[in-house]
Amino acid sequence: MEELRAAIAIGKKDLMVLSRYRIAVISQIFTPLYQGVIPAFLFGAAFAVGGRAVGLDATVGTENLAGFIFLGGVISGLVATSFWAMAMGLRNEMDAGTLEPVWLTPTRHETLVIGRALGGIVWFLISQVVLFAIGIVVFGLRFDATIVLALPALVVAIVGMVGVAYLLAAIVLLIRDANFFIDCTNFLFGVASGVAFPVTLLPGAFQVVALLLPTTYAMDLLRQYAIGARPTYEPRLEYAGLILTTLVLYPLGRRFFARAERIMRVRGSLSQF
Amino acid sequence: MTVAGDVRAFLAAARKELQIIRRYPLNYVGGLFWGALLPAVYVLMGQAYSGGSDPRAMRAFAERAGTTEFAGFVFIGYAMYMWLSSVLWGPGTSLRREQIQGSLEATMLTPVSRLILLFGPGMSAIPSMLFTFVVTFVTLWIMFGFVPPLGSLFPVVIIVLVAVPAMYAIGTLFAAGVLRYGEIGPVVQIVRGTFVLACGITFPVAMLPAWAQTGAAVLPPTYIVSDIRAAILQSVALPGLVGDLAVTIGLTALIAALAILLFGYLERSARRSGMLGRY
Amino acid sequence: MSGVTAHSNVAIEARALVKEFEKGRHTLWQRVRREPDRRTTFRAVDGIDLAVETGEIFGLLGPNGAGKTTTMRMISTLLEPTAGTIRVLGTDVAKEPRRVRAQLGAMLSGERSLYWKLTGRENLEYFAALYHVPPKDTKDRVERSLAAVTLSDRADDYVERYSTGMRQRLALARALLPDPPLILLDEPTVGLDPQASRDLRDRVRDLRAQGRTVLLTTHYMEEADQLCDRVAIIDHGKIVALDSPNALKRTIRAEEIVRLDIGIAGDGDGAAIVDRLSRAGTVARSERHNGTLSLTVHCASARELVPAAFDAAHAAGATVQHVEVVPVTLEDVFLSLTGRGLRE
Repeated sequence: MEELRAAIAIGKKDLMVLSRYRIAVISQIFTPLYQGVIPAFLFGAAFAVGGRAVGLDATVGTENLAGFIFLGGVISGLVATSFWAMAMGLRNEMDAGTLEPVWLTPTRHETLVIGRALGGIVWFLISQVVLFAIGIVVFGLRFDATIVLALPALVVAIVGMVGVAYLLAAIVLLIRDANFFIDCTNFLFGVASGVAFPVTLLPGAFQVVALLLPTTYAMDLLRQYAIGARPTYEPRLEYAGLILTTLVLYPLGRRFFARAERIMRVRGSLSQF
Repeated sequence: MTVAGDVRAFLAAARKELQIIRRYPLNYVGGLFWGALLPAVYVLMGQAYSGGSDPRAMRAFAERAGTTEFAGFVFIGYAMYMWLSSVLWGPGTSLRREQIQGSLEATMLTPVSRLILLFGPGMSAIPSMLFTFVVTFVTLWIMFGFVPPLGSLFPVVIIVLVAVPAMYAIGTLFAAGVLRYGEIGPVVQIVRGTFVLACGITFPVAMLPAWAQTGAAVLPPTYIVSDIRAAILQSVALPGLVGDLAVTIGLTALIAALAILLFGYLERSARRSGMLGRY
Repeated sequence: MSGVTAHSNVAIEARALVKEFEKGRHTLWQRVRREPDRRTTFRAVDGIDLAVETGEIFGLLGPNGAGKTTTMRMISTLLEPTAGTIRVLGTDVAKEPRRVRAQLGAMLSGERSLYWKLTGRENLEYFAALYHVPPKDTKDRVERSLAAVTLSDRADDYVERYSTGMRQRLALARALLPDPPLILLDEPTVGLDPQASRDLRDRVRDLRAQGRTVLLTTHYMEEADQLCDRVAIIDHGKIVALDSPNALKRTIRAEEIVRLDIGIAGDGDGAAIVDRLSRAGTVARSERHNGTLSLTVHCASARELVPAAFDAAHAAGATVQHVEVVPVTLEDVFLSLTGRGLRE
């Protein structure tokens, strides 16, 4: 109970701090829109014939270009939340000097990631609601009612991405060029999850990597249920893959995080940056 | 202060910038990573959107972009994107760094022309631009087997020669503006985002609504990227591009003049408020 | 105050404490190329034994890099010792670090450790949750902590608008949130102006008055002298002396300290002067710089030493430029133990 309260306090604090940087708030909501969604939409629309995305239909079995792109934005946003808000946020606190006093409290150090995850997920949901609203009004975004069938997938994927965040936090707390590392891996992770195009178009080795990521399955399930896209695998198989990867990644991430924490205690690196 | 003295000061400023960027080799790793992978992802998106080169989709694209060669289209656009990134980040960060360190004020106290301060940092964008071009064309060749026709080399070189001062002027105007606002990161995102949307960097300008196309017409990158694409993808010869180049030169002069005016204004207001020393 | 009296009379006990750090890097690239590992180990703390008693203010005094902060970080569970054991309020730090942290208030890196975009109160409310303060007690605990550091009237301002002294006090207020029987303060007054320093020291005395134990590090001898019941002087990772400030000062067999600057003409090295003064007292320090010989001499009476110094200077053809007679301080104790000043 005490740990849950601490986690909620961490999430609340993150949101409070964020809300005090107005430009950052606006930039975080609109950057994915004008850097990701709009260029992709207009690029995709350039292939449309008489307003119909016949090319996309041939590739994934749906003409719903806006749906395809905005759903990619959902998983892409989730990945970014895990990489930036949960993992890199911890490193930013370390660089700012605020991680040390937090480390000195009796709150479990694993809770710090959970707390950041709570704040990150709330922010992720808020920004997705804003993006969807813009999508519906400006891009004629529409989903099938069966989208609700994909919500459990999203929930499991969130748990999996918390596991990934533990893994990443373990790395970024120890390395020097954390920003560059997160920037590159965040991008690769998103691409390998199929946010921009179906993973079947990836070069062979990347397709194997894609299978190891919970977000790949969540992405496919989401597009399948929400816009009727052709699934890569049988839905039950995809749910199994999603659950399996999450079951592996979560404890693995916790383990790495605990190991990184030990290394930091030996090296004294918590306050050396 | 003589002109020769100013030239020496300019070269010293440029040399200092080059020394600083040499100390950040990670920028080049970044250039390699983003220069190759971002456009590659876009090309794969193109494959998804075109249904693996469905003839109807390809025809539709050619009507809007003037070519079916969308890998080349995307890579040229992204080279422009990387170039824009470096002209926005480089001089802005450099001037801002000088402001934070206090060396901006110190340099202001020397008798060199203020314009050296303004235009010196822009030099930092030039090596990264050349690097980006190399990465772009090598990736395009290795990943997608596309080699630009030899005949396009001459027009492209001319376009780039006209483009360098234009891009330089944009970077300088931006850097002067950043001095006023302090924080550079979010401003770069917004400005770069605007260029990406307006100049047809990742999609044909024809996709924009009419009002946005009018906006695109006053931005030099629109002409630069479209001319390079025309030269490489449609083998348009130089005479066909002269009109665009003339417009680019005109816009460049306008932007450079704006940058000088803005910098002068900032300098005056700084003398009144002591702002340059603060951040 | 809860939990203040429940323990035996030893609040912190450290035995044979050692901390070694690796210096240099052995990068992946160097490993791939099978280059020899050129890392060396550096011993920051070298066998420290320490027992801090309940209810006292205990100071670790030493120059920068002496090992004070490393010791403090090991006690606070942030750093794992290479060897040795630490018990805090009867709990083994290595075995039950969370239990130790629950009973510990610490202020280690001062103003940088706060969220500048939150108000003072928001900072404390946040940390109260992390210190597992029950929700019903939070408001009261935050108010009391703010009052204890006299920040109640500025509690709702953003921390970015605070002065450095106020931020230090807020960091101290945060350390008080768990109502801890033991408080660790690492260089609490560094960077503060004299008024703010005095203010913070008063707050630390209040803590002792409340029955809490305080362990602090400092490189200001006045701070250790005025504030601490006992002081351990640390140098090169070792404790070189440990006692009350007065007892430490008594180890110097002198009543007074005389500081002299003597101008020496030409090539003279002042050896004759030093030799002459060594007979009248103990020359703790002798430095020659730009024709000036600076001496620190411990003596029983300055009334006898000062004329002797003038005589010696006159005999050597030198001139006494400056004379200062001061009482014995911990600085002199450090000097006599290590041959160096605290700020060198």
